[in-house]
Amino acid sequence: MIERTASPRLGCDLPDRLLVVRAAEGDEDSFAVLVQRHSRSLLTLARCMLGNPQDAEEAVQDAFISAWRHLPEYRHRAEFRTWMYRITVNRCQTMRHRRPPPLPLDTVAEPAAGDAWSQPARTAEQDAVTNALSRALAELDDGQRVCWILREVQGLPYKEIAHVTRTGEQTVRGRLFRARRSLQEAMGPWR
Amino acid sequence: MALDDPHTRPPEPPGAEGPRNGSAAGDVPPFAGDEVLPCGRLLSRVWEQAWDAPPAADLHPVSCLHCREAVEGLATVNAAARALRDEDPPGLHALADRVMDVVRAEARFGRLLPLADPDWDLRIAESAAAKVLRQAADTVPGSRAATCRLIPEGNGTDVRVTMTLAAALDRPLPERVHQVRRSVLHSAGQDLGLTVTAVDITVADVLEPGPTPGPRLPTGGGA
Repeated sequence: MIERTASPRLGCDLPDRLLVVRAAEGDEDSFAVLVQRHSRSLLTLARCMLGNPQDAEEAVQDAFISAWRHLPEYRHRAEFRTWMYRITVNRCQTMRHRRPPPLPLDTVAEPAAGDAWSQPARTAEQDAVTNALSRALAELDDGQRVCWILREVQGLPYKEIAHVTRTGEQTVRGRLFRARRSLQEAMGPWR
Repeated sequence: MALDDPHTRPPEPPGAEGPRNGSAAGDVPPFAGDEVLPCGRLLSRVWEQAWDAPPAADLHPVSCLHCREAVEGLATVNAAARALRDEDPPGLHALADRVMDVVRAEARFGRLLPLADPDWDLRIAESAAAKVLRQAADTVPGSRAATCRLIPEGNGTDVRVTMTLAAALDRPLPERVHQVRRSVLHSAGQDLGLTVTAVDITVADVLEPGPTPGPRLPTGGGA
């Protein structure tokens, strides 16, 4: 007799490495679980990198589709999450370099009250501080910006940031320090 | 205070830093633009420790006024970072739907395999058959299928299945593999109508108990 359990719905309980193997063989449902599992953090990453939700959605969508197309060649040298961070960071950097230069800071309008990223409970001051940080991030060097976001917003360990950015841990820590200094200076008026 | 000024570090009694603090300015190489605080610690390391949690034995950052001031200097940045982290991105479901629309339009079917009815020359895509056979393997407690390849054998309708498995270690593996093989054979015949001549199974991973870990998020901001 074969002992059976109900098949887990859509593989939601499976670790990434199994879902990736299945998706690489063409299992779309496994890939859908990966998309659901990682969309939020990748969108937050892209929003911090690009400064607005519309571009962030485009970047993350492109990153996932690129991942689907390249899954058969994925060699599991890095965790799926790390691989996705790398693809998304590359996509964001390409988009940043292609788009026109940002408006001068004094022409950037405060967001409207119904801004899609705002939470009802958030105060206008919180929004203003967050916007100030977004603008300060936009002024950072590419490498510093990525390292800071991956560490302070995504909470990645130095080693994983080094994998994503293809550098060493010391380089990551140095960039992080300089990013903190620059952001501290830029956010000075809000203290 | 510039790092390259050799007179910036005040004298300090031996042992004042506590055991193996690893962050006194003389012990570690500074980063470009780094700064030595009046207590002798590097600003970069004080900020790192505030985030990474210092070694339990190192009480200096808690008691030192200069270190505390340095950490508090980042409070605004850290609070704004937390706000960015906590923002709920809109359109998550719509994004997932758009991605999956493209993915399904680019489906990878794999090879076409003959079903066990040569009169009608019926065939099934390998990816569709593999999905059903993986589900059959997943119904055996403590096992989850990973790869599943189906290879035609000979000129007839025979098919050989090669599967890798993640299995829990709470029961002997041979028994579990035997159950998976039976479940796959049963499903191949009953659900798909495939003539499977063999199911080669390799246990390639250990299935760990407990929930799937989600992305790690920072628990502190150091300020």
